[in-house]
Amino acid sequence: MASAALHQLETLLHARKLGATLTDGWTSRRETSPSGIATLDTHLGGGWPCGAVSEIVGGHSTGRTAVLVASLAQATARGAVVALVDTLDRFDPVAAERAGLHLDRVLWVRGPSFTAELSRPAVLERAVHQAVRAFDLILRAGGFAVVALDLGDIPARCIRTLPPTTWLRLAHVNEGRPTAALLVEQAPGGRSARGLSVPLDATTIWTGDSLQSRRFAGFAINFGTPSTRTPSPVA
Amino acid sequence: MHGSDAVVFDAHGLSRVCGPPDVMAREIVQLAEAQGLGLRVATAGTRTAAWLLAHSQPGITIAPSGQERAVLSSVSVGWLAVVIDLDQGDHIAPSPTETRSASGQPALLRGRRAQATRHYRVAPPPEVPRPSAPAVLQQARQTAESYRQCFATFERWGLRTLGDIAALPRPDVHARMGPVGVRLHQAACGEDIAPLVPVDEPRPFADRLELEWPIDGLEPLSFVLSRQCDRLALALEQADRGAVTVTTRLRLVTRETHERTLHLPAPMRDARVLRTLILLDLESHPPAAGIDVVELMVEVTPGPILQGSLLAPSLPTPEDVTTLVARLGALMGESRVGSPHIVDTHDARAVAMRQFDVPAESRHARVAVARPAASATSPSEARSGCRRLRVPLAARVVLERGRPVRVVPSGRELLSGAVVASAGPWRTSGSWWTLDRPGWDRDEWDVQLATGGVYRLACHRATNTWEIEGIFD
Repeated sequence: MASAALHQLETLLHARKLGATLTDGWTSRRETSPSGIATLDTHLGGGWPCGAVSEIVGGHSTGRTAVLVASLAQATARGAVVALVDTLDRFDPVAAERAGLHLDRVLWVRGPSFTAELSRPAVLERAVHQAVRAFDLILRAGGFAVVALDLGDIPARCIRTLPPTTWLRLAHVNEGRPTAALLVEQAPGGRSARGLSVPLDATTIWTGDSLQSRRFAGFAINFGTPSTRTPSPVA
Repeated sequence: MHGSDAVVFDAHGLSRVCGPPDVMAREIVQLAEAQGLGLRVATAGTRTAAWLLAHSQPGITIAPSGQERAVLSSVSVGWLAVVIDLDQGDHIAPSPTETRSASGQPALLRGRRAQATRHYRVAPPPEVPRPSAPAVLQQARQTAESYRQCFATFERWGLRTLGDIAALPRPDVHARMGPVGVRLHQAACGEDIAPLVPVDEPRPFADRLELEWPIDGLEPLSFVLSRQCDRLALALEQADRGAVTVTTRLRLVTRETHERTLHLPAPMRDARVLRTLILLDLESHPPAAGIDVVELMVEVTPGPILQGSLLAPSLPTPEDVTTLVARLGALMGESRVGSPHIVDTHDARAVAMRQFDVPAESRHARVAVARPAASATSPSEARSGCRRLRVPLAARVVLERGRPVRVVPSGRELLSGAVVASAGPWRTSGSWWTLDRPGWDRDEWDVQLATGGVYRLACHRATNTWEIEGIFD
């Protein structure tokens, strides 16, 4: 009786094109897009899942941008093309190229260049809506190995103004495609059913013994356990 | 095309599709009659034989391949004059007064209206040669005179048919008449002196539609463009061409012309893509009034031949990329979409964009070897990215012994805090030698606040003002 009800429910979900929410899909072989960071790839079970929307979550100076650029760089090194929707126009091509990103394989969509920290919420919300629409267009076009939406400097309250169906629609658009969709956020919220949320934390590294020789070397990034709706692949 | 009334085409290999030569010829005649044209059609194994037969014989003449000489043997010698037309094209002019008794698998068609009353002669040399090609005209005049002398010689020798000429030994003809005589002997035998090389005439790809009623807005225009793009795409498909430039010219009710030109990054001929691109461009640059006439003009290039790879990553097609960039440009602004480009300067804030296109080396079947990105694999390895504030955030910085010890930004989100670590200053300056651009002269600091954030500060030395320029992340 219970199995019949379960079967009926699964059939209904498949009929409504919501089959991706079933955990059965996890056990099947899935495509991934490596992040280029061995520790993170181990956490992720090989890389960012393709056909899903995943999240890189953290505050300022937690290594979100470093992880994002590393993931894009790894894809461009394979000869693929990637896209970055830069909501507040904060992408730094010079630093990204230094990190190994092939800039000629990057579609860069720049949002308005205003200071988010000083802007009114309505202005920010309009920028977020535009960025999400651009993200949607790129996912629909297809052909990109990684498509990233950078909402890392957007306060969570602005993201919450998006209609709740937004993330579901984006997940549907990318379902079954060989594209890894990435969100950079301060707080989790946009991950799809098969996507992963990776919380980040970092310790700063300074080199040099004297004041004159001291330099900021970067972050030692600590990757939290990927949050999924399904059992962790490394568990 | 030869002149305005003769067409030579290579029918070789068409028999499987169109049937044997006689069937093909009959169908051509029927099609021409349906259009009100009377034709003479000749097919032969050589172009020269088909040309002579089409001129000399009415109706349809079929010369089986290899038997051209036999079929031509009964043709009058006077018809050899038309060979000049074949060999020299424009230098031979038709005349109603001259006498030559006029008269594949190259095939030749000739309009009855032209041939029924027309005879051919060697054109008299023009009184004033064209200054652009005097040498060519001089050569044509000499050749025509040589042919005339040969015809007179044949008449003196009592030769009446092409069979008589073909029976002469060619070395003897050459000894007495030179290369012109040899050419006429070859023609009498039905031999070509050069293979048939078709040359395409430049073909304009354009579509113009005059509307019965002016239309306002882009939505009704999209239906008009859809029809026009369909026709253009079909023409491009048939010609195996791809559009590289699309010019849309709209004549408005105000008698003004609204013209837009799209430069496509790759040749394309998909009607839907072309229509979408034109519409997206017109959305950004709409016409100022109602539209009376819509005209599309396309510059073309040979169609691209792309070979995909089973092993290389799948990439978006040029059509998809162009449409996507156009859509994103309409949404975000044309200048906000592209590929990042490093500017040749020491100013790390400078950035530029260029048009995004899938790199050719990615598109072709070369399998890119995945090399580890610069950020490799050690968990303890330090990494950092930078988030650049294009509009820097003004800040107040408290110094102690020349080093920042506290930062107070003006924003709400970036909290103030004590500096727990700092590195610097890194002094940079530039563009002080230019008059039209402002230079820069500043000290840069990397600071870590007690809140955990690491920022790039800049102190402008001229004004002693501080800004937060970037966030390390």
